[in-house]
Amino acid sequence: MDPLVFILDALVFVGVFMLLALSLNLEFGYTGLGNFGKVAFFMVGAYIYAIAIQFGLPFYLSLVLCALVASILGALVSLPALRLREDYLAITTIAFGEIVRIIFKAEQSIAGGVWGISIPSIFRDLNLSIRMSVVANLLLVYFVVIVVFIVLQLLTNSPYGRVLRAIREDDEAVSVLGKNVIYYKVQVFMIGSAVAGLSGGLYAQYLRFIEPNMFLPLVTFFVWIMLILGGSGNNKGALVGALLVEFISRGSRILKDYVALPVDAHNVQYIMFGVLIILIIMYRPDGLVREKPLKADWIERKITHGNS
Amino acid sequence: MAILEVNNVVKNFGGLKVLKGATLSVNKGTIVGFVGPNGSGKTTLLKIIFSLLDSDGGSIAFNGNDITGLSSHKIYRQGLSFAFQLPRLFLRMPVLDNLIIAARQQHGEGLLRSLFARRAWSNQEEMLADKVFQTLNFLELTHLAKNNTGELSGGQRKLVEIGRALMADPEMMLLDEPAAGVNPVLGKKIYQKLRILCEQGMTFLVVEHKLDMVLDFADWVYMIDHGKIMLAGPPRDVIESPDFYTTYVGEKNNASS
Ligand SMILES: Nc1ncnc2c1ncn2[C@@H]1O[C@H](COP(=O)(O)OP(=O)(O)OP(=O)(O)O)[C@@H](O)[C@H]1O
Ligand SMILES: [Mg+2]
Repeated sequence: MDPLVFILDALVFVGVFMLLALSLNLEFGYTGLGNFGKVAFFMVGAYIYAIAIQFGLPFYLSLVLCALVASILGALVSLPALRLREDYLAITTIAFGEIVRIIFKAEQSIAGGVWGISIPSIFRDLNLSIRMSVVANLLLVYFVVIVVFIVLQLLTNSPYGRVLRAIREDDEAVSVLGKNVIYYKVQVFMIGSAVAGLSGGLYAQYLRFIEPNMFLPLVTFFVWIMLILGGSGNNKGALVGALLVEFISRGSRILKDYVALPVDAHNVQYIMFGVLIILIIMYRPDGLVREKPLKADWIERKITHGNS
Repeated sequence: MAILEVNNVVKNFGGLKVLKGATLSVNKGTIVGFVGPNGSGKTTLLKIIFSLLDSDGGSIAFNGNDITGLSSHKIYRQGLSFAFQLPRLFLRMPVLDNLIIAARQQHGEGLLRSLFARRAWSNQEEMLADKVFQTLNFLELTHLAKNNTGELSGGQRKLVEIGRALMADPEMMLLDEPAAGVNPVLGKKIYQKLRILCEQGMTFLVVEHKLDMVLDFADWVYMIDHGKIMLAGPPRDVIESPDFYTTYVGEKNNASS
């Protein structure tokens, strides 16, 4: 394979995972909501995209639809659980992740069942070379990453973000301060799911073929690893985590071409993740990129001007 | 005129009957002291008023509206605020954020407005910051404004908890031992502040074990014991009543010292 294409291809995956990591970071990193079914929203996004494109919808509308459907599902899944204790959310989301995959696998009529579904690329009429087609996808994915990153940065560095951080620490205390905690949590879950749905749509567009086995629970755990390594509660950390995990994952696969390994090359990445997680938790429990307090220039001004 | 009416509230924790029909009312613009032995149900009643616990009977009205079982955030919006006996601060956030978050009607707390009305909310933040610093100056915590709340001592945390209730600018405050663990001078200063706010029309229901504070600052006192209101009246009458001694102080001496 063309080494440049290999790198560009890896970067497309990094972008897709960046979106997933950003969305989990909003839910867990800022708000403390443990979503263990991230892959389900990713999968729903991918399938909605595939179906919408086959239906003849323009790609941007298809992407909007991915986000929309995923966020509605996010609300439906989280609403009952969020009214109960914390741990119910974990259980519900794990179950949801598996249920979605099993449905898509079993129901051939929806999208090909185990055989999967192919999606025509939106760039097919441009007659691009392989290299250029990867570049086109790269631009598309990173355009979305940048937009999502900016929106999440603004959101989490505003009074809205302050409420989320407070909910993460003590949601009862937040409700005593007059904030409707359930409302915030459902909103966060909807935004997070929408971003995961978008990510799934872009993934489907790039791969042009999806099948249920691409959406194993492993995907969810990869996203968690990104957050743990990169640093939760910091959007930049989520980006770093996604890059790092994909780098290790790919790197270990290349490694086997150069080094004789005593273990299956595919497993090297898991060993590395295990070691890394232990090291990070021991020496840098907040992750590589630490959480920062809210930006507030006016506070600096007030303090330096010998406050009123 | 009664602003808060608590009617026959009952609460059981399993087999433990903590409140056996507690009834009290608080008049607008007064400081009402709420005293009673440890474990007599004071905190429980305050939490029930704020819907942090469900009651097993009885009703609560605020400004004539029934607020029994209403969600906490709605009770806050009706004009109440609550300061916990054991501070419930956001320890990973700076002291400033712990205070500013308590202010009412913040533009930037809505999803869309936080994104699209940045000018509006940053102006508001700037105004709130003035109020935060006034509160911090008052509580003598200004030097800790930017510190993580987790770095604060127990007494300092208690002060931030009170500061938060002050930031909320409510019609009525429920305070659970506001001066506990606070040095006496500052404790007194807090009560003086409550008095000033009271004169401006704010109302207080304050749990307090320090009888001198109750004597000096309360307009009315309720004493609870074994889940029932046993005594009610002006502070001096309650504190000098013989029943008060037997249940609360234990012996008949140094009441008004
Ligand atoms: N969540 C709970 N579960 C079980 N029992 C509880 C709970 N909360 C309080 N209690 C019990 O209810 C009783 C009243 O407690 P409460 O906290 O209301 O007392 P208090 O009057 O505020 O006392 P203090 O002056 O010591 O703060 C105590 O016996 C306590 O053990
Ligand atoms: Mg108590």
